[in-house]
Amino acid sequence: MNADNILEVRDLVKEFGDHRVIDGVSVGVKKGEVVFLLGPSGAGKSTVMRCMNFLETPTGGEVLFHGQPVDRSENGLNHYRAKVGMVFQHFNLFANLTILDNITLAPVKCGLMSRTEAETQALHLLHRIGLRDKAKAYPSQLSGGQKQRVAIVRALAMNPEVLLFDEPTSALDPEMVGEVENLMRELAKDGMTMLVVSHDTDFAMELADRIVFLADGKLVVDAPPAVIAASDNPRIRDFFSIR
Amino acid sequence: MPGIVYKKWLAVMLAFMALFLTSCGEKEAERGKLIMVTNATFPPYEFYQGSRIVGIDADMVREIAKRNDLELVIEDMAFDSVIAAVQTGKADVAASGITVTEDRKKQIDFTTSYVKADQVIIMRKGDAIAGPEDLKGKRIGVQHGTTGDLYVTENLQEPERFQDGALAVASLVTGKIHAVVLDSAPAEEHVARNKGICILPTALVSEEYAMAISKSRPELLAMFNRTMAEMKADGTMDTIWARYLDKDGKPLAVPAVVAEEEKGMWGRLADSFEVNFVKDDRWHYLVDGFLVTIEISACAVLMGLCIGFLVAVIRSAHDQTGRYKVLNFLCHIYLTVVRGTPVVVQLLIIYFVIFGSVDVSKVLVAIVAFGVNSGAYVAEIIRSGIMAVDSGQMEAGRSLGLSYGTTMRSVILPQAFKNVLPALGNEFIVLLKETSVCGYIALQDLTKGGDIIRSQTYDAFLPLIAVALTYLVVVVCLSQLLKKLENSLKKNER
Repeated sequence: MNADNILEVRDLVKEFGDHRVIDGVSVGVKKGEVVFLLGPSGAGKSTVMRCMNFLETPTGGEVLFHGQPVDRSENGLNHYRAKVGMVFQHFNLFANLTILDNITLAPVKCGLMSRTEAETQALHLLHRIGLRDKAKAYPSQLSGGQKQRVAIVRALAMNPEVLLFDEPTSALDPEMVGEVENLMRELAKDGMTMLVVSHDTDFAMELADRIVFLADGKLVVDAPPAVIAASDNPRIRDFFSIR
Repeated sequence: MPGIVYKKWLAVMLAFMALFLTSCGEKEAERGKLIMVTNATFPPYEFYQGSRIVGIDADMVREIAKRNDLELVIEDMAFDSVIAAVQTGKADVAASGITVTEDRKKQIDFTTSYVKADQVIIMRKGDAIAGPEDLKGKRIGVQHGTTGDLYVTENLQEPERFQDGALAVASLVTGKIHAVVLDSAPAEEHVARNKGICILPTALVSEEYAMAISKSRPELLAMFNRTMAEMKADGTMDTIWARYLDKDGKPLAVPAVVAEEEKGMWGRLADSFEVNFVKDDRWHYLVDGFLVTIEISACAVLMGLCIGFLVAVIRSAHDQTGRYKVLNFLCHIYLTVVRGTPVVVQLLIIYFVIFGSVDVSKVLVAIVAFGVNSGAYVAEIIRSGIMAVDSGQMEAGRSLGLSYGTTMRSVILPQAFKNVLPALGNEFIVLLKETSVCGYIALQDLTKGGDIIRSQTYDAFLPLIAVALTYLVVVVCLSQLLKKLENSLKKNER
């Protein structure tokens, strides 16, 4: 595969017991690229993403960061994860901490910056997404869209090299999808390297540099949106016509 | 960080093992001190006068100690524990109106006996009991572990065993049982204080009292026998007896506490209040006991929280990451043993076995016992709280590059703690009330304080109510405090 990939999985295999959910998938993302992982439910999209930062331990295959296999020791993983942000379907904001503390916890605890620096940065980021007045609020006091935008900002606060999005808009009410998508558009425009698991084909067609289509734990196609749109592969056509 | 926790835990385990090993050795006699154990609910042999234990046994041993230049320490504990206390080296001598029996001779050595005593039958006046043969089939009360208990058990039937004679007599007076079998001297005292009961002229059985000394201390036994012979020869024995009994063996100067009939309910209650709390400053027993109860409960709660936190974190870490296999196994054993045995038994084992040969304060023993006990329950409560926190919280922490430990401390545990606060509060309330079994190791906690008053005034009602009310007030205050804490932690919820 391409050597200038920031993050890459090679021949990834994941089994839960006897059940093989990922069967030899290889995907990579270059600097500044936006790659969408699409596919029907149960295709293994989220599992591929979770294997990328070891929330799931891969059964086989390799995860490469800047072309080097990731150090899987406790410390190695912590360092690696600090550079690979993740945004979850259900936001997973820390329920016991204020919005400000949610954002500053990791940069401070990981020794990236002092508390004052982290707070200045956090307030700046909150200002950017129009939630500066929520700094002292708790997650339960925010709407779903606000929570997800804070979750994105929380990941950004670590200055990651790659951001992983695991179905970032699936748990949102329809009227809140827009605000989160807008933020992702801005990030893409700023040159953030992003890997997105999604069901939203329109959004993928609009934002993606490449679309990776998975089905039954296998890679079906990895191509730019224009090529996917013109594809005569029945599975892909089925998938897109349903949406 | 996990390494440090591991080491600390290991240190605790080693300390416990060391205690186990040292407890096997015999305790060296402490120079200059003589520790006597007794159950001070047995007038005229031993009873409280104010906060001082007096009576024939107590005065006798006091004299023996004086003549041998020893400083006397008297400890009050349950009668069924006094012989064990001598055997395990917790005390030098047990003087508690102990009857000489063949079975007891196998456990300890007896001094020369100093009195012949009868086991007599106390009955309500007017009941149809003419002699020992009429006891068959009746409900008979005894003091647990006394020879009256042994005799009735072996020769008649299963008796109803009370913690002290006064309780047995109180049950007789209120009609719960038909008769009480007790040593004659305290029986006389009880009858003198209660109008409705009398002693059957025919004694059930005759026996002798002596003091008990460990079989491994023949020199001490010899000293006692020698001094007792001297005291008998120079008339000191008779002087001591004359302090408590008249020429016919009837008790002297018994305070009459039987209420006068014409006073009415409130008048009687006022009298009873006066006798139980005001006279001789008896309220001190409740206040002192209350302080001991609070001290033990508070320290045990803290200890239980620390142990529980540690065990819960180790068990959760093992479940979530597969690490700490050995520690998890040890924790599992700890939980099984502690939750599988009653707290009274644990208390007695810690006192007599683990701290058997070490002279430590009983308050400390109680704190350790209740702390270790509570820790097991707290551990499972906190673990359930950790398990109840959404797994996404841990994933989010890890995905940001935070370690397992940091995520646990900063994110998971605060949420778990808030979730389990009501259950923890409940555990603390249970713990507070469980400390009422401290009396088993002769600690004067609140419950024991009430017991002492009862043993002096022969009145069960007011002391029990006072003790119950005190616990109730503490529990209500504790509940209110916890409610406040809960509310202040709720601020991050809508």
